[in-house]
Amino acid sequence: MTPLRGACNAARRSLVYRRATSASRHFASLHAGPANQSSVNPDEIAHFSKLSQAWWDERGEFGLLHKMNPVRIQFIRQKMLEMRREDGLDDVNMARPLDDMDVLDVGCGGGLLCESLARLGGRTLGIDASASNIAIASLHASADPGLTSTRKGNHTLTYEHTSVEDLLAQRGPKSFDVVCSMEVIEHVDNPAAFLTNCATLVKPGGHLFLSTIARTPLSYALTILAAEHILRLVTPGTHTHSKYINPDELTDFFLRLDSDPASQSAVADPPEVRRPWISRLYGSVPARTEAEMRGIIYLPWKGEWMLVPRGAAGASAWAEACNYLFWVRRPFE
Amino acid sequence: MATSVPQQSDIVIVGGGPAGLALASALSSQPAIRDTLRVVLVEASDLSKVRNWNDGPSTFSNRVSSITNASQAFLQEIGVWAHVDEGRTCPIEEMQVWDGVSDARITFSTQDDHASFLPDASPQSQMARLTENLNLQRALLRHLDSNRTVELVDNVKVQSIVREEREGGGWPLVHLSDGRVLRARLLVGADGFNSPVRAYAGIESYGWAYNTTAIVATLFHKPRTSFQAQNTIAYQRFLPTGPIAFLPLSPTASSLVWSTKPHLAKALLSSDPAVLTSMINAAFRLPEVSLRYLHQQILDSVSNGALISSQQLREEISWRGRSHHIDPRSAYSLTADTEGVPPEDADALPPVVTSIQPGSAAFFPLRFSHADDYIGDGAGARTVLVGDAAHTIHPLAGQGLNMGLGDVESLFNCIHKAVTNGGDIGSRTALLPYARERYFENHKIMSACDKLHKLYSSTSEPVVWARSVGVEVLNELDSVKAAIMLNAGSRSSRTPPSGRQIGANFAADAVESIARSVAGVSTLTTGVAGLVGEGLQRVLQTVANSQRR
Ligand SMILES: Cc1cc2nc3c(=O)[nH]c(=O)nc-3n(C[C@H](O)[C@H](O)[C@H](O)COP(=O)(O)OP(=O)(O)OC[C@H]3O[C@@H](n4cnc5c(N)ncnc54)[C@H](O)[C@@H]3O)c2cc1C
Repeated sequence: MTPLRGACNAARRSLVYRRATSASRHFASLHAGPANQSSVNPDEIAHFSKLSQAWWDERGEFGLLHKMNPVRIQFIRQKMLEMRREDGLDDVNMARPLDDMDVLDVGCGGGLLCESLARLGGRTLGIDASASNIAIASLHASADPGLTSTRKGNHTLTYEHTSVEDLLAQRGPKSFDVVCSMEVIEHVDNPAAFLTNCATLVKPGGHLFLSTIARTPLSYALTILAAEHILRLVTPGTHTHSKYINPDELTDFFLRLDSDPASQSAVADPPEVRRPWISRLYGSVPARTEAEMRGIIYLPWKGEWMLVPRGAAGASAWAEACNYLFWVRRPFE
Repeated sequence: MATSVPQQSDIVIVGGGPAGLALASALSSQPAIRDTLRVVLVEASDLSKVRNWNDGPSTFSNRVSSITNASQAFLQEIGVWAHVDEGRTCPIEEMQVWDGVSDARITFSTQDDHASFLPDASPQSQMARLTENLNLQRALLRHLDSNRTVELVDNVKVQSIVREEREGGGWPLVHLSDGRVLRARLLVGADGFNSPVRAYAGIESYGWAYNTTAIVATLFHKPRTSFQAQNTIAYQRFLPTGPIAFLPLSPTASSLVWSTKPHLAKALLSSDPAVLTSMINAAFRLPEVSLRYLHQQILDSVSNGALISSQQLREEISWRGRSHHIDPRSAYSLTADTEGVPPEDADALPPVVTSIQPGSAAFFPLRFSHADDYIGDGAGARTVLVGDAAHTIHPLAGQGLNMGLGDVESLFNCIHKAVTNGGDIGSRTALLPYARERYFENHKIMSACDKLHKLYSSTSEPVVWARSVGVEVLNELDSVKAAIMLNAGSRSSRTPPSGRQIGANFAADAVESIARSVAGVSTLTTGVAGLVGEGLQRVLQTVANSQRR
């Protein structure tokens, strides 16, 4: 919740997509547009490639992002363990909750999240539209024998310089148990297309994790006005406030998203067969087995990020105010 | 040196002292860590000497530490305490501390009022437990031997540490005297005061030698009579030359830690053991002026080459006792017959020492030093310091080893958390909470002890006056007492705050956070953090209030 957190966001948005750019994109566009038209924005890629050398400097511009990483993983871990219990699997490996799963990180940047996902057991693929990010990420992982070794039982981590639509074309739908995309969507010109592509890659019963910034006066003040223009903590031009997405907009998107997103615009299913990812809301909140939203705040006096506790008073207010994590599960078929 | 292929390891611990062994033990106790990390400990000396240490029940090692309840609870938690021979340890139920010049005295025990400031004022039966370092180290080794997950490499020295050359930041390469090279994801310096890991990390250390030496010895004495409390009271008298402490080990044996001037310590140790015995008894009892005189006698006798005999010394001491009008019926008398009903004030002083365990008298130089940081950075990345490698402290509060164990517990928790969250345990991000948690904690204890040492070393009029009226005494002793008692008490100071507490802790933490921020963050961002902090405080207050409802 500090302007510093702008730095984190700067760090994540290495993957940039563009459709026909409309200056004042309204959230309604989340529901619009075919999935195959998003493409990479070369200007923004150049912008982040310049920053990429700094990815692993824990005291540099991305310092706060490094600190945010454990909280993201904590959320992913909690949610995965919870859902495995929900599915009646009790032989869960607590140390490696992603064991034997195919995991994708879209917009992996320097590989911060990917390395952690791989350590938790996931067969992890990180993709990024910036070649230099992929180079940095691969170089960093190569120092760590625990990540690069392909010996059975060991972590595996690979990186690819590609976009989510190309990956979808290459691998086909339903390829990953877990798809993550952290602080990317607010930099995408066609978030609906982007989300649809990410969702299509998720296997039935699989998980999609997102993190982003809500579009509020507070987030404007902290991430753009303060962080970029006044304090220059983050290179100006990093954020576009109108692109920020509010939690209810995400919820709304998945309320409408069919269990099989690829089929949605083509053949209209009869209403009784339609199974959206989020089936209904309980007073604006989805069932915890379908989707969940958690705010994350920076505690300056601890120098740490914190996941706003479930059920804490004002928990939803936090999420709506600034940074939040979002999880949604694709229905089984 | 033959260059061999580096062996991959996740954690390399340099140093098999109490801190290094405790860290290894803690790591081996946790399945999530045991199953995922490869841990190696390197120690220059022969650990089988510790493993096979087997003193008889009536003799004691001269290196003894008071293990606080907090440390003991941690050792219990990781499964080590069960391996400690508890019969050789001794609870401390009370401490008596007094000023050698003014005689102002402060007593604290687990029963007294002051203990009620402990977070959950539950009466504890002990404040700390006197334990031979060897007893603890042997327990740690037994624990490690029982689960065999840490590779122990002893009789092998770390010869050099170099940084691997690699684009984007190399890992430390640890060259051992047996020719092996270990590539460390995380290199832990538990390697004592002259820490080679600290040197590699390029971490400066701030401090000074005290020009003071600590004499240690195992003392024998008569048991307390049935009219008295058992031998469970620790005594410490602050003399201008340094404090002298008497720490109970068994009904008839206790441990001495006597901090004094180096030349005097040397003279005392080269004298007849009976002379040392008499001087110890005198040091707890005679007025300061007489002690000064006696010390001069000893020094003169050494420099003249005509060592004072124990008989001469005893006569001198009893003459001084009489001239100070010490009542021969009092515990302060050194001529009194120690049989029969004990004097009324017997509990105010330790029992009279009758002899010193042969070979147990030794001395160590004392110093104050505190590393500028506990984690390495830049070219020294992937390093962390614990125990005496990070800090050495005057033994007057008996906190050195406890601080090391506190470090170990905190670092262990950090590593565990990082492993749980898929973090890189060698990264600054993973280690930073450790430095944050321990640096100021240790600093507080260290500066309190340092201030006490300096305060009591003074014979200057105003300082002595202040001491005698008790103002300074209480002020300064209270900070040490707080350190001792807090550690003696419950462990709630370390349990993570609940959501409810976050708001309450805010004010205290904020002060600390400002101090911390100044070190690393630019003033600009600090200011901003502060501003936003205020906003947060309001929100957290709301959270806290709503939970209270
Ligand atoms: C007189 C005295 C009394 C004390 N009383 C108390 C007390 O009552 N309570 C208390 O809590 N504390 C007390 N202390 C302090 C306590 O003894 C120390 O804090 C404690 O021993 C430090 O443990 P450590 O493991 O950090 O370091 P050490 O015990 O110094 O261990 C460091 C180890 O590293 C090894 N090493 C160093 N270099 C290398 C190398 N290059 N290669 C391989 N190995 C290497 C050494 O061989 C050694 O074993 C006292 C200290 C003194 C001097």
